Amino acid sequence: MKGVIRLAALTRSYGTTTAVDGVDLEVRAGELITLVGPSGSGKSTILRLIAGLDRPDSGRILVDDVDVARMPAHRRAVAMVFQDYALFPHLTVLGNLTFGLRVRKVRRAEADQRARIAAQRLGIGDLLDRYPDQMSGGQRQRVALARALLRDPSVYLLDEPLASLDAPLRFATRADLLALHRELRTTTIHVTHDQHEAMTLGDRVVVLAAGQIRQVGPPQQVYDAPADTFVAGFLGSPPMNLVPGGGVLGGDATLTLGVRPEDLTLDDAGRIAATVEAVEALGSEAILLTRCPDGTRLTVRTGPRPGVGPGDEVRLRADRLHRFDAATGRRR
Amino acid sequence: MTRPRPALTGWAFLAPYAIAVALLVAVPALLNVGYAFTDHTGLTRDPQFVGLANVRRMLDDRFLLDSLQASLFHVSLAVPVRFVAAVGLGLLLAAPRPGGRWFRTAVYLPTVIPDVALAVLFLWVLNPLYGPLNQLLGLFGHAGYNWLADPTTARIGVVLMLAFPIGEGFVVVLAARRLLDGRLYEAAALEGCGPFGQLRRLTLPLLAPVLVLLAVRDIILTLQVNFVPAYVLTDGRPANATLYLPVYIFDQVFEFSGFAYGSLVTILLMLITAVIITGLLLLVRRWRVLR
Amino acid sequence: MTGGEPIHRFGAACVVRRLWTGGGAVVGRWLGRYVVPALFAALFVAPLWFMLVGSLRPTGAPPPRTLELWPAEPTTAAYTRLPELVPLLRYLANSALVVALAVPVTVLVASLTGFGLRLLSGAARRRALLGLLVVLLVPVTAVWATRFEVFRLAGAVDTYLPLLAPAALAVSPFLVLLYAWSFGGVPDSQLQAARLEGAGWLTIWRRLALPQVKPATLAVAVLAFTFHWSNFIDPLLYLTSGDRYTWPLGLRFLLLLNPTDWPLLMAGSVIATAPCVLVFLFAQRILLADDPLAALRSKGRR
Ligand SMILES: Nc1ncnc2c1ncn2[C@@H]1O[C@H](COP(=O)(O)OP(=O)(O)O)[C@@H](O)[C@H]1O
Ligand SMILES: [Mg+2]
Repeated sequence: MKGVIRLAALTRSYGTTTAVDGVDLEVRAGELITLVGPSGSGKSTILRLIAGLDRPDSGRILVDDVDVARMPAHRRAVAMVFQDYALFPHLTVLGNLTFGLRVRKVRRAEADQRARIAAQRLGIGDLLDRYPDQMSGGQRQRVALARALLRDPSVYLLDEPLASLDAPLRFATRADLLALHRELRTTTIHVTHDQHEAMTLGDRVVVLAAGQIRQVGPPQQVYDAPADTFVAGFLGSPPMNLVPGGGVLGGDATLTLGVRPEDLTLDDAGRIAATVEAVEALGSEAILLTRCPDGTRLTVRTGPRPGVGPGDEVRLRADRLHRFDAATGRRR
Repeated sequence: MTRPRPALTGWAFLAPYAIAVALLVAVPALLNVGYAFTDHTGLTRDPQFVGLANVRRMLDDRFLLDSLQASLFHVSLAVPVRFVAAVGLGLLLAAPRPGGRWFRTAVYLPTVIPDVALAVLFLWVLNPLYGPLNQLLGLFGHAGYNWLADPTTARIGVVLMLAFPIGEGFVVVLAARRLLDGRLYEAAALEGCGPFGQLRRLTLPLLAPVLVLLAVRDIILTLQVNFVPAYVLTDGRPANATLYLPVYIFDQVFEFSGFAYGSLVTILLMLITAVIITGLLLLVRRWRVLR
Repeated sequence: MTGGEPIHRFGAACVVRRLWTGGGAVVGRWLGRYVVPALFAALFVAPLWFMLVGSLRPTGAPPPRTLELWPAEPTTAAYTRLPELVPLLRYLANSALVVALAVPVTVLVASLTGFGLRLLSGAARRRALLGLLVVLLVPVTAVWATRFEVFRLAGAVDTYLPLLAPAALAVSPFLVLLYAWSFGGVPDSQLQAARLEGAGWLTIWRRLALPQVKPATLAVAVLAFTFHWSNFIDPLLYLTSGDRYTWPLGLRFLLLLNPTDWPLLMAGSVIATAPCVLVFLFAQRILLADDPLAALRSKGRR
């Protein structure tokens, strides 16, 4: 099977900012992998480097064990879906889909035929004569996907493909993307800054910060055992409670202890005393914002209608503590 | 390691223009300096080096003195008039309104009149007996002037003619005004700031960098380029009153076989331009408009 | 920048003026929006009007001594007499030839250069813009004599080649900036998408960038047309044989021949001006739109 990508010590700086800083990563053939990180963490730069739209300062990019450093972008058998879709506004959908084929000197009739098939597959077969500004966000996203399909690549690079869709559409499209990947089984690198997407889409998730990889693994595993305090705070909403020095969670000064909001339970026998400051009722669940006597704030996730209100004294029980080194932030 | 390509590609696209600039602007500009110290007439092929002979000739050239005077008078009147017209009309007509484009078109139209046609037209407009301008003055009971026969009115007549083709500056002001943030004006209006307050406290300060650039560009145009209509209109007359420096250079180089001397006067003209612009920039630096 | 002044400082100075203008606001608004602009518009159209009216007078008859807004007996006699006095059609054909050569060259150079500026980023673009600004400030007079010398030594005097020199310089850096600004509306991601599809930079310029800035191309072509059609100084310097003259030179020739035949001269001026006015009326939709910057970029499809 084709589509194995190996990045080795990949580095790219712009002036004084190091956008990608010594990234090592192996993507297996047919895998759907998600790059997640706050904005500015170098996700798009990694995609552009793999696509050949940008050159690394150092490090290597191997596609199917071939070093592609000197290969121009269009020979790399990768297709990219850009965050803004990068549709050509002066061309119809058909023109957009056949642009690359025509540049590569495919005959018009054949190009049209192939474009039609790709469009049909993504359910935009009857939009071929529209211009991009006559379509909805979701339709445009499909055109961008269809254009990528037409490349018939061994790797798909998707740069925040869902970011500019509104919430319900994003939910539906997420499922479509998964279905498409299951059908094609082509290596796909998917970039997002949305942790929901990171958790639900992808066999493995790669957490990036400041151009460096913090952790790689199946989403649930990364969630259950975050490698450091950054990953712990980034994945999960509301984020994990992190208490330097242990404090109310007990422990010693060399550690930072963490506990996820759902692992804190209201329990009259609990060891932790706290005062409720606010209750956020979210319908299916509720979030309690509490404060301990020593000033530590703890966020607690409970079922709906927890039966407490602001000002109430409560006791909490903590399960599944995460232990991090106080100095390095690494998991211990 | 290879650096990204786009930068190189960008420069490659600039290459044809850069070559043209080198061949048609930079090389001739440098040659100017060389020729200024020769006896080249423009007719032969073997100019001889004559040292400072041309400079000595320049020092007691009465025509050059007249020419300098005419140019300075022209710049000090034409630049402000053109500047105020372009900026004033640009700001007056920038706001959208029904038919607004046609008002702007009317203001721009004189700019597309070819230079010669503009000059011929103003020969007619300024005609002392039948010209529309004197007849217009007649409606107000004024006897009118013999425009092109008297040194002062001839100079004013040229300025009058050049007050019409102001389209380039006008368009720049229109565009720059559109770029200003409308919310600033809403905020100012909420404070009870009327149109004049907005002009003085918002528009002009925000547009200042563009305006300075426009003024600089117009000084150069007025000193050196706009001479074509003046050349056709008056050709230096009367009594050298409109013998602007470019007209003098043109006469020297192309009429009197004084190629080398013309080159030297060209350098003088460049220096004067540079001095005026430097002065302007120093003046506005005190207002801190250029960051 | 100078924007540091807190907004509330406006208040004190402006309230007084507000009270003062409050009453006549409607009238004042109407005056400012229509009446005053209309007066200025009339002022700027007036010279063109006098040109047209002057050309419609009968020749020979002494002009009236009062302001005449429309001739008593309009006649096109001057226009029919023109070709009898000068080779009008030949001059016009020469002008058309020059324009047909020079306008495409201008558009080509301006769009290539503008696209190059668009591709540069950061410091490189600032350097290039600075260079362009310097060119903007170099006057043609500075290089007249020596440029003529260069063309003379190259044996190009009395050909149309020197008339293409301004075209190779894109006429004015202004036109280059117009293109650079318009291309700025094409996002990087589109260029990259085309790169991925295997398009070369020239293909991207031609098939991707240019079609998206058609209004800018129209505007540049029109401005180039008015420049080359009007160009007087270059033909004056370089064209020596009468049968190569362009119409602006022909008009000057006419002026030297008949310095007081006003209907004739005005008719010649109208012929010189009319093509520029007509062509400009196409471009005003873009250049003088309420939002010229948006109009330049308006995607250009259809
Ligand atoms: N072409 C560029 N020029 C300069 N800096 C850049 C460029 N591309 C990216 N960067 C910088 O590199 C960092 C990473 O950018 P990017 O990869 O786009 O992040 P992300 O996609 O994760 O939001 C950012 O700090 C950004 O400012
Ligand atoms: Mg990004």
